[in-house]
Amino acid sequence: MALPRNSTDTYGGAVFVGAPAIPQPSRRVRRETRLAYALLAPTLVVILGLVAYPFVSAIYLSLQNKMVGVAGRFVGLGNYVELFRDEVFLRTAWNSLVYTAVAVAIKFVLGLTMALVLDQERPFNNLFRTLLFLPWAVPVVIVSLNWRWIYDDLSGFLNNFLITFHITHDIISWLSNPRLAMGCVIAVVVWAGTPFYAMTFLAGLQAIGKELYEAAEIDGASIVQQFLYITVPRLRTIFITTVMLSTIWTATNLQFVLLLTRGGPANRTEIFPHLAYETALGARRLGMGAAVSLVFFPLLVVLIVFLTQRMLREREE
Amino acid sequence: MNSVTRTRRLLKWAGNLLLAVLLVWTLVPFYWMVATSLKKDKEIYGFEATLIPRHPTLDAYRRLFAQTPFVKYLRNSTIIAVTTTVGSLVLGSLGAYALARLRFPGRSVIARGLIFTYLVPQSLLFIPLFAIMSTFALIDTREGLILAYLGITLPFCTWLLLGYFRSVPVELEEAALVDGCSHLSALVRIILPMSLPALAVVAFFSFTQAWNEFVYANVLVNSVDVRTITTGLTLFIVEDVFFWGPMMGAAVLATVPPVLVYLVFQRWVVKGLTLGAVKG
Repeated sequence: MALPRNSTDTYGGAVFVGAPAIPQPSRRVRRETRLAYALLAPTLVVILGLVAYPFVSAIYLSLQNKMVGVAGRFVGLGNYVELFRDEVFLRTAWNSLVYTAVAVAIKFVLGLTMALVLDQERPFNNLFRTLLFLPWAVPVVIVSLNWRWIYDDLSGFLNNFLITFHITHDIISWLSNPRLAMGCVIAVVVWAGTPFYAMTFLAGLQAIGKELYEAAEIDGASIVQQFLYITVPRLRTIFITTVMLSTIWTATNLQFVLLLTRGGPANRTEIFPHLAYETALGARRLGMGAAVSLVFFPLLVVLIVFLTQRMLREREE
Repeated sequence: MNSVTRTRRLLKWAGNLLLAVLLVWTLVPFYWMVATSLKKDKEIYGFEATLIPRHPTLDAYRRLFAQTPFVKYLRNSTIIAVTTTVGSLVLGSLGAYALARLRFPGRSVIARGLIFTYLVPQSLLFIPLFAIMSTFALIDTREGLILAYLGITLPFCTWLLLGYFRSVPVELEEAALVDGCSHLSALVRIILPMSLPALAVVAFFSFTQAWNEFVYANVLVNSVDVRTITTGLTLFIVEDVFFWGPMMGAAVLATVPPVLVYLVFQRWVVKGLTLGAVKG
């Protein structure tokens, strides 16, 4: 019996009270819709034309054997099949995984340390904070070139320093030694990326009320307990969002590898974004390059969808 | 003295020590960049290479301005970054207003699409974008690069402003709208003046993104006349030979604008950060 009553409530009002008014709200809605789309038009053009369309066309491109300046022919999954058979692919997949996981882990630990240190009270803390966050404002190209110069075999800072202070006697080839190259690249990624973690973590730390710690201390909680049961739970959301954002950006960053090692020595630092770049613009195989850049995308999609949901939810709260 | 107080004192010293280590780690690369730019070639390379410049000179900077197209690169970077910033502010505000205040079909889909497009990485898009820009003859143009940069900045800027506009009380505007004020003037006269912190983050974000960007600039531009400073820097590498003196001089000067902008905007930016404002 709920149904009829319900329907009177909704339709009844419209029929009797709003009968002449029906066109009015709908005209208003139509006017608002038109205005909204007029205001959003440039943004939509940019999003559809420069992100959505290229994205779809990357998929389409990856199914062709297109070269730069030459029309492509449809080859189905041919590019992917060729890619999976290539031994460089396996190497690159492993490198990409190690590179991303290790860099994110170190940035996390170092970023948290930096935030905790800056959260302590001391004179000139604002100055120290500004200085420690400085790398984050520097263009990644400059970071990479500068570090390449620091690593330089004959005249770079590292070898220069180590030999001057008699720590080593021989020149170390940082970026061309297959064992050291990946570690050296990761160090640069960490140098540039740690401030971002420290900034978000510090913002989180400073939002925790001091009275919580005081209360815990009266109850006899140790410093470690305070950290584990007050600090960590309250930073959990920030931890997850920061790590996910940074994972996407770290995994897809082309510049560090391009400017430091170009994937060498012997593909030891080859990662997907750089392999895609070399294939598309070095070897001029646009179709194959698109396939390379897409092959690790499914993993990122999971992160991106998850993060989209999260950011929407955080906003609603 | 209880154990917590003792641990706290210990932590304080550990903290100071760690701070010193972190400062060295962070600042040494800056030192090396500046020091190199102040050296003569003799002190840069080979056996006489020094850790501290023995005879500091501005020679590298002089060569930079006299013998290289550095000034041209700076000009291009400035034009492109400023245009991208203005575009992001204006278009972002208009779009965010529509999403925050108007009711229309497709609203939530678009809001969701904003974050999604923001998170799609450039390394996935540069190949098709190269093909698209070629089709429209936008390779080697400032317009093409600015458009590509709006593709990076606009989704996030609109998203950020949307959140901020929603937090501005709607009552003021309603009164103005009843008085016959149009939606646009409500946006300009009421919402924007109350959203200055968010606009500051948008300006900061789009300026630094456009100034620091390298991948699109590298792929979409070849000519010296359009080249920006980030890709211009790599031209100091000729056939695997690096001209470190002028290159580090250029690096120092190209770092100044984003760092200055960071120093000015830092108190707003930290707030915007929790929303994922800045890539790192």
